[in-house]
This record gives sequence, structure tokens and C-alpha cells, in this order.
Amino acid sequence: MKMNGGAIEADLLLNCTDMSVLERQRAHLKYLNPGFDSPLAGFFSGSSVIDGGVIDGFLGTDGLNLPMIYGENTVEGDPRLSISPETMTGTRNFKKRKFDTETKDCDGKKKMMMNRHEEEVEEEEKSKITEQNNGSTKSIKKMKNKAKKEENSCSNDSSKVTKELQKTDYIHVRARRGQATDSHSIAERVRREKISERMKFLQDLVPGCDKITGKAGMLDEIINYVQSLQRQIEFLSMKLAVVNPRPDFDIDDIFAKEVASTPMTVVPSPEMVNSGYSHEMVNSGYSNEMASSGYLHFNPMQQVDTTTSDPLSCFNNGQAPSMWDSHVQNLYGSL
Amino acid sequence: MASSDKTINTDVPEKDVFAIHFLQSLSNLTTQNPFNSPDTTNYRARKIKKAAYVSMAKAAGGSSRLWSRALLGRAAKENNKIVRFARRKRKVTWKISSKRRSDQRAPEATDRLRNLVPGGGTMETSKLMEETAHYIKCLSMQVKVMQCLVDGLSPK
Repeated sequence: MKMNGGAIEADLLLNCTDMSVLERQRAHLKYLNPGFDSPLAGFFSGSSVIDGGVIDGFLGTDGLNLPMIYGENTVEGDPRLSISPETMTGTRNFKKRKFDTETKDCDGKKKMMMNRHEEEVEEEEKSKITEQNNGSTKSIKKMKNKAKKEENSCSNDSSKVTKELQKTDYIHVRARRGQATDSHSIAERVRREKISERMKFLQDLVPGCDKITGKAGMLDEIINYVQSLQRQIEFLSMKLAVVNPRPDFDIDDIFAKEVASTPMTVVPSPEMVNSGYSHEMVNSGYSNEMASSGYLHFNPMQQVDTTTSDPLSCFNNGQAPSMWDSHVQNLYGSL
Repeated sequence: MASSDKTINTDVPEKDVFAIHFLQSLSNLTTQNPFNSPDTTNYRARKIKKAAYVSMAKAAGGSSRLWSRALLGRAAKENNKIVRFARRKRKVTWKISSKRRSDQRAPEATDRLRNLVPGGGTMETSKLMEETAHYIKCLSMQVKVMQCLVDGLSPK
């Protein structure tokens, strides 16, 4: 097919479905910029002419996917592009800068990753083709997730005005300047950002991690900290095993007694300060098995005089009570 | 003592919840074994450690955290009990399949972390980080409780 400068012919050419990809592109470029010689020159100015109506016109009803390839290496890009000539209703996409393929989804709920940064053209001439046709459902899901995060506009009807261009019917994700722009890398980036956000959170948690930067070092520190905590637990359990002379106290018994004697109150009241133990249903919801027994209210201001208060009278047999007292006093003291 | 993050919820219950659970499990231990038992210190220590972990998992919100469910499941398996939690809706993640593929790598930091945190084998990395944060908080709480106990029990 001869490439003329005429817009109408280009229109016709574009509407032909048996054109090759390259020809379609050339036709489109010609349409946009009649003096088409160099692919890059004047492209942006030319394309800015297009508005919604025009595009509807020359794209016709068959809904072509036009992978736009800008830059000199247009030719090589083609064989890798996968053009799916199925018809689509609704979204049509133009890729202005990268040569990404555009996926089509027959039921029109596809979203496209478009990147509209002028600067990227000069910087990135890489030929990154996304296998979007293959992973279309996957990328759709990812893109749907990203859509919430990255202010995508999902417009099947209205046109979205970008910085330079006025186009219709596409979703774009703001890829940042100087970064890769296909959907997979954007998804990767989102995931990486999630991970780094959590790493920052962990950094606050683990003591002594302010100076360390970098994921690997941080992870090592975190691992060391977790290991040290686990070792501490082991060591303390060993100590408990040594120290603990198997006291004969029965906690369930105490709880049962106290539940029976004192009424369950939900609101902590000042009277409880005077009594040795007080029970209340702690509205924590953390454990269900405690629902039947009362909770000890660990009030640090309480003066625990456990030997004299009634609920603990069951303890007064053997050395166990003293152990228990000291348990409790310690817990009170340190809480 | 609970701290909250805007996007990640890593609230941990107060210390007394941990204390109560631990004391309960300890008393269960003592009531289980008769007092004339020839237990070595090691044996008792191991039992106490298991009790500590189980009580920590229960205190930290038994089934609302992946690591606690994994811990409790593991402990129940050791006792030959079957414990089943209500199946929570899992988001379909794409990461899991890729993790299985790359098992041949040298164990790197995230893998080591997975080994440390219970239930970490099949989590996404971001989820792993969340669980690690919560796990760390609970561990430190448990350590404090146990330290108090030891201090209280040790002869003055």
C-alpha cells in the first residue's frame, strides 16, 4: 500500500484490518503528521491536534490496537508486538512513547498502562514489550489494584486530558520519571514499596536499627533480634524450671472462688483499689477461653496485701502462697 | 502499650493478658504432672517453653494472626490433637507460585525469616513483614512477663 500524505487515505488504511502493524503505525503517523519522514520530529505537536472526535473517526469500529513506536528503532519492534485484531467496545488506546502493546479485552473491561511522560521518550529507547495479551487477566487484576492507588481514570466514555495530549478512553498510570513503564514493572514497584514501608515499620520496632540502611542489613538485624528474643524465652523458661519448686496452687480454683464472691463489673471502680483482688470482665476480646473466668485487674496502684484478703485464704497451706504472693507482687510492681 | 500504624495493624494486648495466659498454662503444667515426678530440669524447661509459646499465641489473639494459628496448630499436632481454625478468606496472591519455583536459591534473608516466624513459609513477603512485626511485639511482651516471674520467684 502506498503511503500518501492524505489523511483520508490514512484513514482508510487504518480501517483495513489486513494491514500489518507497521503499516498501520505509519498510516497513523502520517495522519497525525503529514510530513512524515522522521518518526520523532514534530510528533507531539501533530498528535495534539487529535481530539476525541477525530480518533473515533479514524479508528473506526474495529477498534484497532495501535502500538505506537516512537524513535528510530521502530522496525525491530514490530515482530514482537502482538496485535490482537479482535474488536473491542469502548476503550481504545494510544501509546505515545514506549512501544508497549496494548491489550484488548473483548468485554471492554481492560485497562491499559499508558505513560505520558515526555521525558521518557528521550531517555528510554528500550524495547520492552509487555506480554499483555498473554497475561491479560493477570495484568487486569493488578492494574485494577493499582487503579485505586495510582489515580487511574477508568473511562470508557470520557476522554482524559493528559499533560500534552488529548486522547480518549484509556487508563493511565503515572509512571515516574526515568522508570520503566510496563505494567509488570509497575506492579513490581508497588510491591516493593509495600515491602519497604513495612521494613520501615520494623525498623522502629527493632532497637538499634536507625543506622542501618538497606534491606539486607535490616533483615539481618531483624533476624538477629527475633533469634535473640527466642533465646531469651528459652533461657527464662530454663530459669523458671530451676527456680520453680512446683507449688501446689490452683489458679482455676482461685478464679472460681473469686468469680463467685465478687460481682462482675465492667467498669473499674475505685473500691477495687482497697480489695486485694478485683475481677472484672476485661473487654479485650483477645481470648475467648477466659470468658468464663474473671480477669485479674492488674492495677499498679494497688497495695497487694494478699495474705489478709479473703480470696487468698485457700492459699494458706504450705509455702506456695509466698511464692504466689511474690509472683503477684512482682507483676503488680512492674506493670 | 498498643501501638497502631495507619496501614498496618499491629496492636498487641496488654501485659496482663499475657501474664494471665502464661500463669494459667503453668498451672496446667503443674496439675498435669504429679509431684513425685522425676523430671529433670531440662524436661521441665522444655515444657515451660512450650507452654510459654502456646500461651503467647493465645494471648496475642488466637486465630487472628497467621503466626499464632501456625504455632497453635503445630503445638496441637505435637499433642496429637486436631485443631482447626475457621478458614479465613485468603487473597489470591501471585507470589506464592514464584516462591516455590525459586526454592533452589541459597537461603537468603527473607527465607531465614520465614523459618523463624511460625507459619512464614507460605506468606507473601509484605505479609511476612507484618507478621514479623506483631510477632516481635508479642515475643518481647512474653519475655517481660517471664522476666517478672523469674524475678519474683528467685530467692532474694
